[in-house]
Amino acid sequence: MIQESMRTNPPPDPAAVEFALETRALTKRMPSGGKPLTILDQVTLSIPRGEFVAILGPSGSGKSTLLALLAGLDRPTSGEVRLDGEAIQDLSEDELALLRRRKVGFVFQSFQLLSNLTAQENILLPMELLGVSDGEARADELLALVGLSERGHHYPSQLSGGEQQRVALARAFAPRPAILFADEPTGNLDSATGERVLQLLTDLHRRDGTTLVLVTHDPAVAALAERRVHLRDGHIARDERGDSTLTASKQ
Amino acid sequence: MNFAAFLRNIRRETRGARGRLIFFTACLAIGVAGVVAVAGLSASLDQTIRGEAKQLLAADLAIEGRKPLPPQLDSLIASVAGARRTDVREMVTVVAAKSNDGSAGRSQLVELKAVGEGYPFYGTLTTEPQRPLGTLLGAQNAVVAPELLTRLGLRVGSELKIGTGTFTISGTVSKEPDRLGGAFSLGPRVFIALGAVPGTGLEGKGSRVSYRALVRLPDGSTRAQATALVDRLDTALEPLGRFRVESYTEAQPTLRNGLHRAERFLALVALLSLLIGGVGVAQTVRAWLAGRMDAIAILKCLGMRPREVLRLYVAQTVVLAGIGSALGCILGTAVQWAVPALLGSLLPAGLPRTLEPVALLRGLLLGIGVALLFSLPPLLGALRVPPARVLRRDAEPIPFSRAVQILLGSVLLGGVYTLAVVQSQSWSLGAGFTGALVGATAALALSAWLVRKAIGRLPRGRRGRGIGWRHGLAALTRPGAGTTSAIVALGLGVVVVLAMRLVESQLAGQLEHDLPADAPSAFLIDIQPDEWPGVQEVLNRNGATHIDAVPVVMARLTAIDGKPVEEIAEAQTAEAPAKKPANGSAGSSSENTRRGQRGERREGGGGGNRRWALTREQRLTYMATLPADNRIVEGKLWSDPAKSEVSLEQDFARDIGAHLGSRLDFDVQGVPFELEVTTIRTVKWESFGINFFLVVEPGVLEQAPQQRLAAARLPQGGEQVIQDQLAARFPNVTMLQTRDILDRIRTVMLRISSGIRFLGGFTILAGIAILAGAVGASSARRGREVALLKTIGMTRRGVMQVFATEYALLGLVAGVIGAAAGGVLAWAVLTQQMQVPWHFEPAPFVAAVVGAVGLAVLAGLAASAGALRRRPIEALRAE
Repeated sequence: MIQESMRTNPPPDPAAVEFALETRALTKRMPSGGKPLTILDQVTLSIPRGEFVAILGPSGSGKSTLLALLAGLDRPTSGEVRLDGEAIQDLSEDELALLRRRKVGFVFQSFQLLSNLTAQENILLPMELLGVSDGEARADELLALVGLSERGHHYPSQLSGGEQQRVALARAFAPRPAILFADEPTGNLDSATGERVLQLLTDLHRRDGTTLVLVTHDPAVAALAERRVHLRDGHIARDERGDSTLTASKQ
Repeated sequence: MNFAAFLRNIRRETRGARGRLIFFTACLAIGVAGVVAVAGLSASLDQTIRGEAKQLLAADLAIEGRKPLPPQLDSLIASVAGARRTDVREMVTVVAAKSNDGSAGRSQLVELKAVGEGYPFYGTLTTEPQRPLGTLLGAQNAVVAPELLTRLGLRVGSELKIGTGTFTISGTVSKEPDRLGGAFSLGPRVFIALGAVPGTGLEGKGSRVSYRALVRLPDGSTRAQATALVDRLDTALEPLGRFRVESYTEAQPTLRNGLHRAERFLALVALLSLLIGGVGVAQTVRAWLAGRMDAIAILKCLGMRPREVLRLYVAQTVVLAGIGSALGCILGTAVQWAVPALLGSLLPAGLPRTLEPVALLRGLLLGIGVALLFSLPPLLGALRVPPARVLRRDAEPIPFSRAVQILLGSVLLGGVYTLAVVQSQSWSLGAGFTGALVGATAALALSAWLVRKAIGRLPRGRRGRGIGWRHGLAALTRPGAGTTSAIVALGLGVVVVLAMRLVESQLAGQLEHDLPADAPSAFLIDIQPDEWPGVQEVLNRNGATHIDAVPVVMARLTAIDGKPVEEIAEAQTAEAPAKKPANGSAGSSSENTRRGQRGERREGGGGGNRRWALTREQRLTYMATLPADNRIVEGKLWSDPAKSEVSLEQDFARDIGAHLGSRLDFDVQGVPFELEVTTIRTVKWESFGINFFLVVEPGVLEQAPQQRLAAARLPQGGEQVIQDQLAARFPNVTMLQTRDILDRIRTVMLRISSGIRFLGGFTILAGIAILAGAVGASSARRGREVALLKTIGMTRRGVMQVFATEYALLGLVAGVIGAAAGGVLAWAVLTQQMQVPWHFEPAPFVAAVVGAVGLAVLAGLAASAGALRRRPIEALRAE
């Protein structure tokens, strides 16, 4: 399939791009009854390559909306989003899909595995979309990495929540995305299972040098990140750096 | 994504949803089966009634004239490969028994019919001995009507003098398929072979011979092909004068109306079945995709482009539609085969069951076409699924661009129009159908919108007390409830079912009403005035009823408004080519006697028609009031005491060029008199009563030399006794029986009407089945809602109330709007397309609304029954 022809402008030279993600005055409003509700208001944020950022905030603070906008799942009302140096807010649905296919991986709170595919097929799917025909070896490797070598032929309904999320992790990393978005990845898991999933997530992030954007309301989870961006009422309330892995893991 | 991966994805998409898949395919199959079965049954019915109609002409088409047919006719007919021709010549002549000593014995006026090889192409003759006519007719053989034997005192094997030839009677004939004009025949039938005509010396100058070529088109020819050949022949023969071309569809006015209406009806059935099938398919695909929304969002999230998603689901729909259509074809064919076996006597006898590969292929393609076209709007909905749905279930759908909307609209319109044209085989009907569909859909969508707006405006507190009522109302207005599509689908279903019911019952009723129920079964001609009491007495004694008689005065038209008719006729011949008489209305003057008109004989065609109308001997009658089957369209009957008035039949008046106020000069055996046209009237010829072109007011012709024409209904089986008694006492009176032709017409018309009732009923049932499936399919996704309501403590009874309220409201709106639209459609089809008067009956309308409500509630409850039974947690987990 001709994918490159979709590009409207040539991609910037990756070496010249410092940031994996940048936003400028990013605003999202939604119609709510009569008057529009402002969910995100003039958010400006830069995330360097390879950084692990947690986006924190209470329910309704705009975390998930920010994630959707950063990943090109939704369109801003105004402002700019650059992914790998490319402005994505005006791309068509097709162009966005191709961008996600090549550069982005996702892990969701509710796993979002395709129920009609086996674990292995779920992991293979993004690679198939990229036209990789011999992804089985990598899928098996990833299955082994998340400890599910024996479960590759099981359907999601035959797996526990933790197992499903590990499959989702393997699927997210399978095409070696430049950026991985995780939306409350442990929200539906018990704490032990959640910890295991987080461990895997950070391991894979380190191993591949993937930029990781994690949305959570849980400070303990956020403590794993190199940087924490606190959202409140659609604004960035605090942006702090520093490794607090040690203290967080003890909590 | 390469092709193998694409195929893999199509296959994977069908996993883990076997149940839903089977349901989906079954709904598709039912939709297609409805279309296929109706198409098959229509074809069978069409074939049956056409077969009957062809018998009445003994051919697909006939070319007729008063002079030998032109030689170029052969090449014209040969333009249709496989067409066959045979010729028939008819003349009135006197035959005589040949007595033993060789001298001529008693003689009798007969109608001689010389037939060529292959006659009749359709239908059979009843002969004694029962052998094909061709083998009975040698070079010098004749087959005659039994009454000729009685009158001449002959038997089979006797010799008969026809003109200068001598023939041996080889058998008798009691029925011939194409002798419709028995009523006005002038004597018993005599058949000879065409090759024997020269030997009779009858074809010389001065004898009136009717030349007719019968054409049989190859089996499987369509009506359009017959009509096309008729048009070609008409054009080619026009300059050669006085030839008339007719196809089997025009052979007889009652039948022609019936066939025309049946044809319109079948087109309607085809279109409505298409619509109901399409609605079923659309709702099913919509429901199917509703269950795939999450998967589509994930696929998009992982980078599948919208067009790839669309391609995936279109391909999947094609595969499923193919399977569904194949199943539908099998089911539809099975229905065609089973239904006549099940219903037996309710159906037109001998309904042929055809299993044609072409028809099956057509059904398959039609099924896939319907499925693809009608699933297009829900399929395009897949484009609108936002990838952000993975984060938030209620993420807003991606809007369509204006270009996509216009493209979608055009593709839909074009597709519906194409399918409609294919189904109805008519450009204009296709356009009408498409327009009506758009109108009905718009009306339904608008009313759905209005209802949602109105409910939304109601303050929540004022919506009533019951929790079921409040939640039911709320369910209709919540975002993404699919209220509009459900109302449109159900409403269109109501349109189809109600329109079908109204058209079917009113049309069949009209056809049955049109049947000549009280028509006379015999006519008696040439009764002298002093013989009438005696004839009446014979009739009464033998149980004849409905006896009616009118005086007949033979006269010649000499001038119109002072201008001699010879001059008028010549002037008309000069302005060639003469205008063709209109063919559209029943009983137009281009009809001739074979079409079953009584009292008047019409002949010729093209320009010769007028000349003949002017110069022939006219039959006049006089009466104070007109028969019931006459309707005055201009003037007032016998309104001017100062004048001698005459009333003209409309088409006859046009043929001779007379109008209100024209003065007509007549000559009765040398006595001239003048009449003024004071009324113009139409005649319902198909009533088979005694009717005349020229009716004169009483007091003018009473003293003129006249005869009587009588009509009566004879008791079944009593005809022969009456015939014999009349022949003995009044040898100059000729009795002509019409029971045979009446029975034939009756049979055909009853077949048409019972076929219409049956097919209508079948379409209605299929429609209801498809609709129930569609409503069920669209409510199958309500499990989660049921579970939630139960979780928060609502009893099952309460949940059922919520659903019942919601679906009842939905059914009510769809029922009311659909019934209104269905009524308009039925009215338009009946009055504009079929010329059937409209009678408003409230019952079907009430039944349609009540039925729509009932169906919606039942289907809604049935679809949520599974979720109602399960524990809430199961349903919540399953989501």
